[in-house]
Amino acid sequence: MTATLPKSAAAPGTAARGRPRRAGARMSTGRLVGIVAVAVVFTAPLVWMVLAAFKTNVQIGNPAEAVVFTPTLRNFGTVFEQGVFLPAMLNSVIVGVVSTVLSAILAVPAAWAIGRFAMQRVGNWVLIARIIPAVSLLVPWYYLFAQLELVGGYTVLVLSHMFVSVPLITWIMIGFFAGLPVELEEAGRVDGLSAFGAFLRISLPLATAGTATACVLAAVFSWNNFMFALILSGENTKTLPVALFNFISYASVDWGGLMAAATLMSVPVVLAAVFGQKYLVAGLTAGATKG
Amino acid sequence: MTATTLRQEQRRLKWAMLSPALLFILAMIAFPLVYTAYLSTTDAFGAVNAHRSFLGLTNFSDALSDTRRFWPAVARTAVFTAAAVALELCLGLAVAMLLRRPFGGMRWVRTILMVPLLATPVAVGVLWLLILDPTVGIANHLLGLVGIPPQPFLGSVAESLPTLILIDVWQWTPMMTLLLLAGLSALPEEPEEAALIDGASGWQRFRLVTVPMLMPVIITSLVLRSVDALKTFDLIYATKGPGGGSSNEAETLNVYAYGLTFDYQEYGLAASVLVLFTVFIVLIVIALRRRSAKDQP
Amino acid sequence: MLNRRGLLKAAGAGALLASTGLPLTGCGRSAGGPDGDLRVVLANHVWTTAIRKRIPEFSDLARRRVLVSTMTADQLSSTYNVKLNASAPDVDVMMYRPLQEQLLFARNGWLADLTDRVSSQPGYDWADFQPASRERTTVAGKVFGVPVVTERPTLYYRRDLVPDGRPPATLAALFETAVRLHNPVAGQYGFVGRGQRAAAVSMFSSYLYSFGGAFTVDQHSGVGTPEAIAAYQYYGRLLREAGPIGATNMSLEQITPIFAQGKAVFAIDADAVYRNFIDPATSLVGDRTGFGAFPAGPAGSRPFNVPSWGLTINAFSERRDAAWEFIRWATSREMVLALQAEGVPGARLSAWRDPAALAKFPPDLAASMTASIQTGVGADRPDVVQVGRARDIVGRPLVASILGADVAAAAADASQQLDAFLVRDARQRKI
Repeated sequence: MTATLPKSAAAPGTAARGRPRRAGARMSTGRLVGIVAVAVVFTAPLVWMVLAAFKTNVQIGNPAEAVVFTPTLRNFGTVFEQGVFLPAMLNSVIVGVVSTVLSAILAVPAAWAIGRFAMQRVGNWVLIARIIPAVSLLVPWYYLFAQLELVGGYTVLVLSHMFVSVPLITWIMIGFFAGLPVELEEAGRVDGLSAFGAFLRISLPLATAGTATACVLAAVFSWNNFMFALILSGENTKTLPVALFNFISYASVDWGGLMAAATLMSVPVVLAAVFGQKYLVAGLTAGATKG
Repeated sequence: MTATTLRQEQRRLKWAMLSPALLFILAMIAFPLVYTAYLSTTDAFGAVNAHRSFLGLTNFSDALSDTRRFWPAVARTAVFTAAAVALELCLGLAVAMLLRRPFGGMRWVRTILMVPLLATPVAVGVLWLLILDPTVGIANHLLGLVGIPPQPFLGSVAESLPTLILIDVWQWTPMMTLLLLAGLSALPEEPEEAALIDGASGWQRFRLVTVPMLMPVIITSLVLRSVDALKTFDLIYATKGPGGGSSNEAETLNVYAYGLTFDYQEYGLAASVLVLFTVFIVLIVIALRRRSAKDQP
Repeated sequence: MLNRRGLLKAAGAGALLASTGLPLTGCGRSAGGPDGDLRVVLANHVWTTAIRKRIPEFSDLARRRVLVSTMTADQLSSTYNVKLNASAPDVDVMMYRPLQEQLLFARNGWLADLTDRVSSQPGYDWADFQPASRERTTVAGKVFGVPVVTERPTLYYRRDLVPDGRPPATLAALFETAVRLHNPVAGQYGFVGRGQRAAAVSMFSSYLYSFGGAFTVDQHSGVGTPEAIAAYQYYGRLLREAGPIGATNMSLEQITPIFAQGKAVFAIDADAVYRNFIDPATSLVGDRTGFGAFPAGPAGSRPFNVPSWGLTINAFSERRDAAWEFIRWATSREMVLALQAEGVPGARLSAWRDPAALAKFPPDLAASMTASIQTGVGADRPDVVQVGRARDIVGRPLVASILGADVAAAAADASQQLDAFLVRDARQRKI
């Protein structure tokens, strides 16, 4: 993991602690307990969710069968047999990827402009979008997109998700770009780069950590977006969160089915976390600006 | 290259970089904003197309003098946001400091950390609804094992808002941690090394060196999370249903506006509440950014 | 000339132009035209589950594809709200609640007038529908919908736990028995019922009627009367002293599992969902569950008997004829009889009179249902345009009662509010 890092970050914490510390060396018990506690607190409810996915509704309500029980796959059967889940997942993926990529293309340059040149007042307009409550947008948007005959298709979903992602990515990236010393770009200018070239070759690579974080978050919010999809999606473009509510019927909540759907919904996202996490780690430790 | 042409080139560039995002946002919100502002001055009810009369600012005065639903909603929004974000910031910073220096298995802890924030809010809401269900949930069973009587949690008027705050903290602390970790990793090491050499203790180093350097990222995270927390909807909708519960115990401004629109069809009043709500959020954002401007002369 | 001011002015002007150039009126937009697929929107309900299996039959008969969306009742309302406000043509057949949305949608002009259709088709027999149900879907003489499900409250009870294995016949007896058998420490609640404000109001109506009260009397509020207060106090006490914790957050979805897992002695809720209480896949106590008529209060046993769901046609639909074909098929004598035999209580008298269909229900349930049909009241909530607000107003004393607060004061306050509300609402009633 440390093989490709620049020398300056090779042994973080070495000088600060006054003694060498390699990854894996003994850490204080307090810290160990803290980390384990953190891990448990954030995993336990999700473990419960996964367990419940394999139980019948009766077993779920029975504390005696909390951990030891005869599992069943029936819930997963229910989830798939309606033929709604897989298409919904595909829709979530399509909308998520497209909206995040397009949003990054719009947002990262904008964030650079705002952060680098301290254009706070104008920048606020982009951020205004985060502030508007979605409820005030639903009816006017539905009408607007219905006029353009875009309702029920992917376009309107992507646009509405971009509306959330662009300000989000911009907001996160402004801080990163503002923190980059101007001298770096100016050095590039001296070397003959154009202003745009300085952005592209110098500032952008340095902000990879932030960009990765911002894009992951944007993709996540898109995946989880409920309100827009509920109103603006059609039969064929329904996304996962909306499909989840199929399990809440008139007379009872099918907890087993619900937990099974929630589990399945989280699997791709957890996988993305595992792989996306590599980017984050490499980016985060790849010796950011050091003087 | 002369100074003026450099500046001109920069100016052209920065506008070219900013315009696409700016125009996109303006195009998307122009119609809804104007329309909502317009509706807020009418008594629109039932159907937005139906006949409606101009009321001027009556809706606003009605909302602002409404001590039954509006002001309690404001209070709940403020309490929920302040408590949740404060807890998320403190815990997030603590966890970030814990994970800052590399250790074995770090990758897995980071992955674990990401899962609650990646999970769908409505799914998280329903999951906690199950865990905290007073009768079939596991939480009361566990409490019973240590002798605590069963709690109503989300089923009670008094306990609902605190419970929702804690669920929100559970879901979003990892996000703060993530952002703060990224910020921490970008910090130069010399100041902290220098402080160590000067004999500062761990806590002093943290408070007097690390935190001030981290302030821009802290403010960014704070504003980001606050705006989202103010608008929390999915969680409350999934766990308390319409109106934020039987005594409106979890009704925040967003939930109230949604209820006015979809349960009561009182579009005029809903629009005015939304306008007031937006103003409320803007004021908070401005206040927070003033604070940040103070830290960055 | 890319200076800052110029750009901002242009953006602002453009946005303003775009927004004012689009008045919010329905324009002709196509969603497939008269020969397109039929779009049917249904609620998650036992009726929907039963009809869905049969839709391919209809598709073949009509030689037309049918696209079905299902969602929860709350989501349905929101969806209709948004789509119909924008005059959307992409919904044809809508499943709706005549008691909740009828007046509002009719007033808004969102529903197609079915008066001619229901009476002109030979063999359809509109008169075969229960008179009270028919009234509910008719506004100002025009028929706007066809009821598909009727509901009444029924008393679910545990035969093995009650004395003599027989259900209490009066509300007083119910209270007394429930309190006596209430044993939360051992995991047994005396009674479970709805406590979540909006949902509880409809169930509560039966108690209100059985105490001699009513939501409105002659266009004025009826919730401040001594009878109403007595009803509020009774229901609140019942839940407080014999009910589960967290009652004010409970609706049907929470009640069913509690009873089904054997943790309650009594439950009162809709009869249409009885399957969830006795189906071995979801219930541990199915073989020990009995059904009783709604117990009698001081004014007798007066449960509600209402068409909880109906089908209607979107006024903006481009396929009204096809939509009507669907409704006619789904609510024909044969179909309703078949569904009734599967345990979905419909609105046609012929289906209720058919002994074979009735035999499919557990006998005591069938007896309870037929009794309720005789004495039932045709409404379970205030008869107003803005049902949402009305429900919240009349539900407030109910919640106060469950929480043990001052009911008389809450009822007086609610009554005042309801009076003011009724005046405003009356102005909205023009169709």
